[in-house]
Amino acid sequence: MSPPADAAPASSGGEQFELDPVFLNSRREAIAIFLLWFLCLLWAVPVCYAMGYGQEVVPRQVPTVMGMPSWIFWGLLLPWLAADGATIWLCFRYIKNDPLGEVAGEEPVDSKTASADGEGSK
Amino acid sequence: MMTPLLAADSNAALVTFMIYTLAVFGIAALSNQLMKSKSFMSEYFLGSRGLGVWAFALTFAATSSSGGSFTGFPAKIYTHGWVLALWIGSYMVVPICTMGFIGKRLNQVARISGAITIPDVLRDRFNSKRFGLLAVILIVFFMSFNLVAQFKAGATILKVLLSDVKIFTDFSASVSTWLEGSTFFGTDGQYLVCLLFFGVAVIAYTTYGGFHAVVWTDVMQGIVMILGVLILLPLAISAVGGLSFATQEMSTMTPPMRGYAEVASTKPLTEAVVLDNDDWLMSSTRNPTRVFRVARPATIQPGDEINFVEVLEITSPSEVKRILAGEDDSVTMKGEIDLNFREDLVAVTFSNPGDSRGSITVHPGPMTGDYEFKSGEYVVAKDSKGTLRNFRVVEAAGPFQVPRNVDLRVAEGNDFDSAVMTWNKDNPLTLVSASMSPVSYQYGHGEQGHYVTGPGPSPRDSLGFLPLSVAISFFFMWAISGAGQPSNMVRLMAFNNSRTLQRAIFTVAIYYTCIYLPLVVIFCCARVLVPGMEAEPDRIMPEMAVYLTDSIGAGWLGGLLIAAPFAAVMSTVDSFLLMISSAVVRDIYQRNIKPDASEGSIKKMSYLCTLIVGTAAMVVAINPPNFLQDIIVYVGSGLAACFLAPVVFLLYWPRATESGCIIGMLSGFAAHFAMYTAGIFTNGSFFRPYRLFDFDPIIVGLGVSFLITFLATRATTPPSEEIVRKYFYRKVQG
Repeated sequence: MSPPADAAPASSGGEQFELDPVFLNSRREAIAIFLLWFLCLLWAVPVCYAMGYGQEVVPRQVPTVMGMPSWIFWGLLLPWLAADGATIWLCFRYIKNDPLGEVAGEEPVDSKTASADGEGSK
Repeated sequence: MMTPLLAADSNAALVTFMIYTLAVFGIAALSNQLMKSKSFMSEYFLGSRGLGVWAFALTFAATSSSGGSFTGFPAKIYTHGWVLALWIGSYMVVPICTMGFIGKRLNQVARISGAITIPDVLRDRFNSKRFGLLAVILIVFFMSFNLVAQFKAGATILKVLLSDVKIFTDFSASVSTWLEGSTFFGTDGQYLVCLLFFGVAVIAYTTYGGFHAVVWTDVMQGIVMILGVLILLPLAISAVGGLSFATQEMSTMTPPMRGYAEVASTKPLTEAVVLDNDDWLMSSTRNPTRVFRVARPATIQPGDEINFVEVLEITSPSEVKRILAGEDDSVTMKGEIDLNFREDLVAVTFSNPGDSRGSITVHPGPMTGDYEFKSGEYVVAKDSKGTLRNFRVVEAAGPFQVPRNVDLRVAEGNDFDSAVMTWNKDNPLTLVSASMSPVSYQYGHGEQGHYVTGPGPSPRDSLGFLPLSVAISFFFMWAISGAGQPSNMVRLMAFNNSRTLQRAIFTVAIYYTCIYLPLVVIFCCARVLVPGMEAEPDRIMPEMAVYLTDSIGAGWLGGLLIAAPFAAVMSTVDSFLLMISSAVVRDIYQRNIKPDASEGSIKKMSYLCTLIVGTAAMVVAINPPNFLQDIIVYVGSGLAACFLAPVVFLLYWPRATESGCIIGMLSGFAAHFAMYTAGIFTNGSFFRPYRLFDFDPIIVGLGVSFLITFLATRATTPPSEEIVRKYFYRKVQG
């Protein structure tokens, strides 16, 4: 979804414009997040289906790991922990700490709160 | 333990709970003070965009974890077993998807336009009044559904908490007597009283405190919720004798059967006898003994000869053994099972699982003179294929003086062959139509192992609870559609900076990990510990909380634990309430009817609107629909089908147009609604939607919405340079 030429006014009235980096960063991060979701889908559903669906069950002899059926452990618990790891990496390494700007027609957001988190205004 | 459960500790639990409720009101009062120093509109509906990490993370988490998470979800785990871990599996990425996918960009766009609500964003992004109004209509439509369901959840939870408090039961009995004969208010006085208390509390603090009250109570409620789950987890595992034991025990279970028991008194009755949901019946005339739980309250009047009572038959031998003996002999369980067996009554016969109850229309044929149908009378009617079918009249009808078609409430069964038929052989009745509900499990009936494997037993679906296609659908449902919820979006507009977003995503990820997987474990244990709850599975969370704390003699803890689902419902209701009133006050009144309205009149309007919307939802909840979780799923997927595609396109695609987004939004709504409406014709219920290629309507709704938005945008005139520059470009410095 790159901006088309007819909707990308690079200059107007002598002023120069560039694509907003918050927009570009947000879009890049959204794509990475979508890929993470897709990877989790590819791990959890096929593993659960292969190991936990349509299986013959002998009562009181269900294979378990940590007390839960083994297909739950390999297909849900493990990818869940992996997803948490990936989320932490995305949050603190990949997602940019972009300034979000002031609010149009409103008094500025509490400057103390903003500066405390290391963000200046745009 | 099935009876009202707080016996000795009811007061302690009640006091804990009352303290919690008072704290909520205290927070509302503080919030109201805060509003006095800020712009009312921005503060009341958006908290002045000043939310820090904890407030943002916990309000987001608490709002998402609605009443469904603590009533409907546990009910589903209880009913279908371990497969619910896969059903909820996409929560592993819900925080990063719902907050990270559009959070930063939405917050920025809302700041650029000065938007306070989601309809504001849509309207301002395209300078389009009609887009804003369309969004308002859809939000009000969907949220109203959900609000009613959440009110029901809140009242149900409160009813369990108070069920053994004398002053409450006495007062409720008076209310029941007072309302006797009223069809609108029903007969459940306890539910009505709880609904009133819950409704007044939540409406009052939301109206008075606004967004900050909602957020701060969310924070408190979020803490209560996670504490509740983390306390319940070890208690449940310990009480059941280890998770491994629970899993192995579940592997022996077979789904229960639902049907009708014919119940008679062992002695002549002098006054009416009430059979409650907590009552158990057994039929010892057969070997082995059969055990039933009353599925729907019934009253037996003196002189009644035939009493049909809707019951649930427990079919797993291990469960029956535990129910009859009090505990299983193969393991020591700490909690005692204290069942309320009715010794004055006996289940005489139980209709076979294929039997059902419903209504038939009969034509009396060439009868003359007065005629009537007595309760318990057998009638034989010939259906349209000419087959004779046996029915027993459940509700008396007549007498009729003129022969005419009669709608009869009947039960059809196979146990009637030996009964003496009182029908008139000379004038057999002709069956005009019959409406019967199936009552046995469609998948998993009579088979072991389904509670520990996929797709899980299902009373309604012959493919099982979670076939592969539906499992994939739910990966879309929670993670992707969660990003499309207006109630989530509005919170994404309220955090103060990017750093807050990053830390909040991390916090919510850990929070959800600590909530959802433990919930699956806890309520798998509940299947073993508290049998027979399929008749009213929405009550399993409070029942379990009280069961576990009662077994260790800590009633006060029961109060705190029940406050967890109550908190979840409250935090959802208050958010939805505010969403609807903000839509009406900001998006309709201020922006379309009276743009120059003073702050004072907007303030009054906001209070009034929140009050009216909440009261209306409470009134509708007096006769609430069933299927709490089904309503939540319908609303969640419907909102996503409407909002996600337009919002994603307007945030990330400069070429996005007003017409393209409106058409996409309407297409998503129509496609999703069509799937549910088709369910009426194909599956007999709106809440059992038609599944195209076995996929949930969310896939169809999202697919159609994204595709149509893209195509319609391509087909329409590009937006003005001014708009694109405002939202996608910035001046080059220097």
